[in-house]
Amino acid sequence: MIKPRQSPLPGMKMVSRSGLRVVPVLAVLVAAVGCGRTPPAAFRLNMVQATKSAAPEAGMEKPWAGWARERQAQVATILEAMFGTPDEPVALAETGLDHAKLALAAGPVRSDIVGRKNGLYREHCAHCHGISGDGMGPTAAFLNPYPRDYRPGKFKFKGTWRDARPSRDDLVRLLHQGVPGSSMPSFALLPPAQVDALVEYVRYLSIRGETELALYSYAEQELGTDDRFPETREFLVDEILTPIVEKWQGAEEAAIPIAAVPANVDFSKPGDDPANRESVARGRTLFHGDGGCVKCHGVTALGDGQANDYDDWNKVIVEWSKEVSGGLAAGKSDAARSAWLHAAEDVIEGDALRPRTIPPRNLRLGLYRGGRRPLDLYRRLYTGINGAPMPGVGPSGPGGKGSVPDEEIWHIVNYIRSLPYDFDGELGVDRPLVAKDRF
Amino acid sequence: MGKRLAGIFWSLLFLAVPVLGVLTFAVAPAYDHWLPKDVSEHGGSIDSLFYFILALTGVVFVVTEVVLFWFMWKYDAAKQSGPATYIQGSHTLEVVWTIIPAATLLFLAIYQMNAWADVKMRRPAMEPTVEVVARQFEWRLRYPGRDGSLGTPDDLFLVNDLHLPVDEDVLIQLKSMDVLHSFFLPNVRIKQDAVPGMKIPVWFKARDVGEYDIVCAELCGWGHYKMKGRVTFESRADFDAWLERKYAEQGTTQPPAPADDVAAN
Amino acid sequence: MTPPPTTATPAVDHGSAVVHAPAHAAEGGIGHFLSTYVFSKDHKVIGLQFLFSTLLWFLIGGLLALAVRWQVAWPWSDVPVVGKLFAQEGGQMAPEFYTMLFTMHATVMIFLVIIPILAGAFGNFLIPLMIGADDMAFPTLNMLSYWFMWPAFVCFGASFFVEGGAASGGWTSYPTLSTNPASSPASGMGQTLWLLGLTFVGVSSMLGSVNYMTTIILMRAPGMTMFRLPMTIWAMFITAVLQAFALPVLTAAGFMQLSDRMLGTGFFSPEGNVVNNAIAGAGGGQPLLWQHLFWFYSHPAVYIMILPAMGMVSDILTVFARKPLFGYRPMVYSIAGIAGLGFIVWGHHMFMSGMNPALGITFMVSTMMIALPSAVKTFNWLGTLWGGKIQFTTSMLFAISFVSMFIIGGLSGIFMAATPVDIFIHDTYFIVAHFHYVLFAGTAMGVWAAIYFWFPKMFGRTMNEFWGKVHFFLTFIFLNGTFFTMHILGAVGFPRRLADAYHYETFHHLQPLNAFMTYCAIGMVATQVIFAANFIYSMFWGPVAGRNPWNANTLEWTAPSPPGHGNFDYQPVVYRGPYEYSVPGVEKDHLMQTDPPNAAAVAAAAAAH
Repeated sequence: MIKPRQSPLPGMKMVSRSGLRVVPVLAVLVAAVGCGRTPPAAFRLNMVQATKSAAPEAGMEKPWAGWARERQAQVATILEAMFGTPDEPVALAETGLDHAKLALAAGPVRSDIVGRKNGLYREHCAHCHGISGDGMGPTAAFLNPYPRDYRPGKFKFKGTWRDARPSRDDLVRLLHQGVPGSSMPSFALLPPAQVDALVEYVRYLSIRGETELALYSYAEQELGTDDRFPETREFLVDEILTPIVEKWQGAEEAAIPIAAVPANVDFSKPGDDPANRESVARGRTLFHGDGGCVKCHGVTALGDGQANDYDDWNKVIVEWSKEVSGGLAAGKSDAARSAWLHAAEDVIEGDALRPRTIPPRNLRLGLYRGGRRPLDLYRRLYTGINGAPMPGVGPSGPGGKGSVPDEEIWHIVNYIRSLPYDFDGELGVDRPLVAKDRF
Repeated sequence: MGKRLAGIFWSLLFLAVPVLGVLTFAVAPAYDHWLPKDVSEHGGSIDSLFYFILALTGVVFVVTEVVLFWFMWKYDAAKQSGPATYIQGSHTLEVVWTIIPAATLLFLAIYQMNAWADVKMRRPAMEPTVEVVARQFEWRLRYPGRDGSLGTPDDLFLVNDLHLPVDEDVLIQLKSMDVLHSFFLPNVRIKQDAVPGMKIPVWFKARDVGEYDIVCAELCGWGHYKMKGRVTFESRADFDAWLERKYAEQGTTQPPAPADDVAAN
Repeated sequence: MTPPPTTATPAVDHGSAVVHAPAHAAEGGIGHFLSTYVFSKDHKVIGLQFLFSTLLWFLIGGLLALAVRWQVAWPWSDVPVVGKLFAQEGGQMAPEFYTMLFTMHATVMIFLVIIPILAGAFGNFLIPLMIGADDMAFPTLNMLSYWFMWPAFVCFGASFFVEGGAASGGWTSYPTLSTNPASSPASGMGQTLWLLGLTFVGVSSMLGSVNYMTTIILMRAPGMTMFRLPMTIWAMFITAVLQAFALPVLTAAGFMQLSDRMLGTGFFSPEGNVVNNAIAGAGGGQPLLWQHLFWFYSHPAVYIMILPAMGMVSDILTVFARKPLFGYRPMVYSIAGIAGLGFIVWGHHMFMSGMNPALGITFMVSTMMIALPSAVKTFNWLGTLWGGKIQFTTSMLFAISFVSMFIIGGLSGIFMAATPVDIFIHDTYFIVAHFHYVLFAGTAMGVWAAIYFWFPKMFGRTMNEFWGKVHFFLTFIFLNGTFFTMHILGAVGFPRRLADAYHYETFHHLQPLNAFMTYCAIGMVATQVIFAANFIYSMFWGPVAGRNPWNANTLEWTAPSPPGHGNFDYQPVVYRGPYEYSVPGVEKDHLMQTDPPNAAAVAAAAAAH
């Protein structure tokens, strides 16, 4: 039998229950600490460009930091008015964006399954590409290659002229295929309506990013220290937005011409088949010659040629970083300039991904990031890869002349497709990689 | 009296365990919270083994938990006037309840060996239908090309969209490009880890047409949840037609006409 | 200590809440404080240090689990508290964060809570007391075994704050996800710290196990034969043997993985292995090697995580049923059998791993057989209750629930031992259900039973019975609500470790059930506030307990509450076994182990048989 509770002192009541006064106190503390809802997601400014374009005028009197913040605040306000927020997107008629699709992609992922059609971007894309499409989501720093930053409006794998925007079909195909060899997965299993919504949202984020860049560019060139952006429809829509939108809408018409496939090329047969031998040999000649490929891809096509270049997104950081350190080293700056340079340093350190060189592709792996169809390879060769150091061998614009005649590009395609099978006929991916292999 | 009520309360709480336990399992299938549809040939033997073990363990569960409840109810100190029974054990009981479970467990083990061997050890002699290479975070598929052998330039490369013929043995060569993954087809009762550096054969025969999930069942990084694939079982004719379409698509040299839907197939 | 008196222990006892002054009381100030309460070599202080540390980590592990449950129930929604880290995305957690949550939940619970609380807290506190010794065989080593936990705490704790976050490759840390620093964000510093922390925990456990084995073998009181040891001690002894033999393998494997990551060796990476476009190192190794080495330890580890609880529950059941343990020797043999068989079943974690399928047959047989000693133990527990005079104290309720829940956990294990069935349920919530039943509904309930039971001995006061029962009731309800339906989820094939399973056709109707389970989980964690309040309050203001508030018969109840240095007033001499309750012919309903043989009682007992 258990003895009754003994009181340590006569007359002292057993106070076991009142001791638990601590419980509600704890509960209140816990609630205060953490139960508030997180504020809604918000777009971030392109701090790299914002800071870069905010070089103070010589002899500026007001403190730089406050002035820069004011300017950024104005940009943020303008962008919010023109494009809305991550939860509530705005699509001005002039952008040509379909608001219904944007609504499907925008907003938080709903937690109830029934009728959960919203928040697609945040469900599938945001943790890599970032809420603002800046390629700096929480996971981004750990990916190789980094996820795409949509804001400059540059896309690598498309069927349009090098400097043109991708067409809707290009983006849909990208989502379907993913980017093999990178962390971008295939979304082929999503219903077509959802893919369309995501494509629309990417265009929206890109247009928004380009608008922001255009504003900074305008500020750098046209605005004096005490000037503010004109907040008129005429300026914002006609002068800033319309050229950007035109490029996007023009993309649908900017497809490169595809030459007819020459007679001695048969893509349904392997490279060493008699049907292709001549073409592959011609392709090899071009690869080593007029195509200019071995400089980067190496004589063996293992990607071990010159390898210390950057893609455009990383190049911005690298070059600006050099300017900033140069400026800091030079020393003789006034207070405003010094503040600007230090702010630049902080942004490069804390608000940008660490730059990485872009290695030329190892063509013997049989892994093609932009797609493996002959058409895809033709497109890569024709225009090169926008944003990467890979140049095109085709003309740079309609009516131009490239370093290789259009039909001959098919021979290079044929040669490249034969490369993974060039060693004992085994697929390159199965071959063990040696240290000098690149991707 | 209060103590007896307390004893009754606690005993009943423990009685709730077998009652609610059995109820949960009994009610779950009605809400579609049960084994997913099985479309494979060997799946039946796996499912019946599952049910057999469920029945066996269910009986043991109910009996032991009810006995526990019964002892709590009956041997409540508030109900017992005399002292407890001073007994150190029972040799007979020990022998009985050692031999019977041992025999049952050994029987269970031996009974299942055949099912395991069928799925994992008795590989059919055939060429692989498809090579599945798991990678962070997708299923890369490689079908032999028109020449019928894998590893030649006309192989078909696809992602996540696995098609297989129904009513035929299929052999999948499973590999991994980077880290451990696991090829799990819930509706086919197939699971096999994809190990980097190893080529592992997986074989089965599907009995029904339809589209089902491919799930990654081994943690492979942040995108483990995202590694969704679809397996489509279709008649041999449809499968061959689909392959032909894909071969043609892979050799595309012209962009599709605007009327074509890129998302088709 | 003084020799024992010739009379039996006095029936009335006023207890003692005074700790005997330590021998080094002459030193004053900070040195004295440090050596008495911080770097103490007294096994009881060390035991309490383990207890407090592990209970704190229990809270952390539980909170991590709540974050996991939140994401599983409401994927990509704004998470409370944690959402602040993802303010940019509106509070939705990133997928790599989710992988970190379940990895660290398991790591913390296994290595920083269950293993140290069983062996470190209870093993340390109880072993000398229950065998009649004045302290452990190696007091300094004992102190070190606690203080080696602190570098582990620092490593695991710091790993949350490094770039990339804490380890996120699963607590199983399989290569090549964990060996290639580029394969996931936490595969950098976080994973390295994890491996270091694991090494420290391993060292701590190995130091402890050496101590326990030596103490139990060599320092038993006169008359305390091996077969008069209480089940708690048998369990601690066998657990220590398991730790000593299994841990070195894990430590070695941990070093191999560290070497793969930091020195570029290739124990576990195949040649040419590329993850996330990064090559890991020399290659030439096999990922399966890690799995074998890891599970060779981690399977015995799961027995390390349950045997002490089984032992303690066995003892507690006898005290509150007022009758001897049913089948003492079979129980001892069963524990030994579980431990022995535990070394030859590790492959059942690897049935789908790609190892030779023939091993699927051999491991199936050995795994089926290991269910046998557990079944025998369960029947013996039921036999212990049969014919008893059951007192429903908080401790007893937890002990009975151990038996009830262990039945569920043990039976669910049979499904996964069946290799063909494992094809379907491997890496699904069926497995999660199984191990949460044995580890949480089993061991943790056993731990709570032990805390409520030995609290008076530790602190000289009893915990509040009413709030203890509330704690029990709510925990019991909520834990079953959280974990029982996991069996159902597993039957659907719902996979483990998925941040969002609902985009699969097969699983997208399971969200409401998961939401229900998360509500239960929240309730379960909230209930522990009651336990914490009861514990803290009772430590200081609970009713004073005597030496033997439960009228138990084992040796620790002859010592003061709490015992001072040296534990006993006089050297105990043992005349009886540990379960002399309701002995026929004896007036008192229990006889202490130190009660000398009484001719009349012996004769009466013999006549009664």
